[in-house]
Amino acid sequence: MIKVLLFAQLRDELGKETISIEANGWSVAELKGKMKAEYQLGGLETVMTAVNEEFADDDTILSDGDTVAFIPPVSGG
Amino acid sequence: MDRGGDVKERYSRQTLFAPIGERGQLKIEKKHVLLLGAGALGAANAEALTRAGVGKLTIVDRDYVELSNLQRQQMYTERDVEERLPKAEAAKRHLREINHEIEVNAVIMDATAQNLEQQLGDVDLILDATDNFETRMIINDLSQKLHIPWIYGACVGSVGMSLTILPGQTPCLHCLLKTIPIQGMTCDTGGIISPAVTMVAAHQTAEALKILTEDWGAVRPALVTFDLWRNQYQSVKLTKAKKKDCLSCGEQRSYPFLARENATKTAVLCGRDTVQVRPPTPVKLQLEKLAKNLIESGYSVTFNPFLLTCEKNGERIVIFEDGRALIHGTKDMIQAKVAYNSILG
Repeated sequence: MIKVLLFAQLRDELGKETISIEANGWSVAELKGKMKAEYQLGGLETVMTAVNEEFADDDTILSDGDTVAFIPPVSGG
Repeated sequence: MDRGGDVKERYSRQTLFAPIGERGQLKIEKKHVLLLGAGALGAANAEALTRAGVGKLTIVDRDYVELSNLQRQQMYTERDVEERLPKAEAAKRHLREINHEIEVNAVIMDATAQNLEQQLGDVDLILDATDNFETRMIINDLSQKLHIPWIYGACVGSVGMSLTILPGQTPCLHCLLKTIPIQGMTCDTGGIISPAVTMVAAHQTAEALKILTEDWGAVRPALVTFDLWRNQYQSVKLTKAKKKDCLSCGEQRSYPFLARENATKTAVLCGRDTVQVRPPTPVKLQLEKLAKNLIESGYSVTFNPFLLTCEKNGERIVIFEDGRALIHGTKDMIQAKVAYNSILG
């Protein structure tokens, strides 16, 4: 299982901070696709992704036990 | 520079802090910081750096002080609102009363790639306190081109984030964001609480002091993000984030955000009290989601599949799905860009 951590408005959209997903061997892009299709999460194209607290791009392959965080970029100031 | 006893006394608690010391303090006093934006983050950073004794502070801002700023934009007062003072000028006046020994330079302008570069001649550090990614990408390219460190900071709601960019060493903002995010929450749509501002500014000012004292080893090598309401704090390491083919910091760089064609276009519509604002590249907005956010923040909104109309305080804005907007009731292009960024970030 992969643990998915959601930040800011993504957390509000889903209604919870973490979910677990069977995604061993998937890429980050595939996981985003699943999150969009299953939970109607918006704006995943521009979120920053961290895998195990390390910045990761869409090609990064996930393994069981990984924690993936989706962090929407913040713009206000 | 003549540093009398008063000066030593003023900074005595800061120089007692071992990583800064007298040597670090002398360095701080010789440095020039450019602060882009004098809103919430700008005011907090400006005050902290002024108190810390930075040699010269240039503050660039395009806006003026309004009543809705006072809840979180420190330094500003009801009097500034009454006088409709430009934020850069109001900041300068308050900062002079806090520390007359430093040089504060107020620049009232809408920053573009061209006019910002002219301000960066002897600047040692750029502090980001803007409210939009287009300007941040310009800062990012100028930072790489002129080899000046910069510190990204942003906040909305109870969320904030910050990142320090050292040209030639760390990844740049363009490495982390392939495209400019649009339709993010802004302070005008998602609200903002003051501790989110203070927390981001604390991270930025701490990083600034490290850079100004040239304590490079202490610079935080990670993106930090937090949510003070939902009790989340995350630090994201960036060891694999630097992209060799990044157009801003890579081997074949072209500084794409310095090109005029990549800037937001504004135009006053002939014969109408309306300004059109167009993003540099077409985007596809989710109008229904945008409508929901705007309604929650007090706008009256109508929309169809093609465009959305929102109104608040007599201000009417029409936004098309491709990100283009008509700002009604003004001929002022800068005011129109301010209104646009307050909704779409």
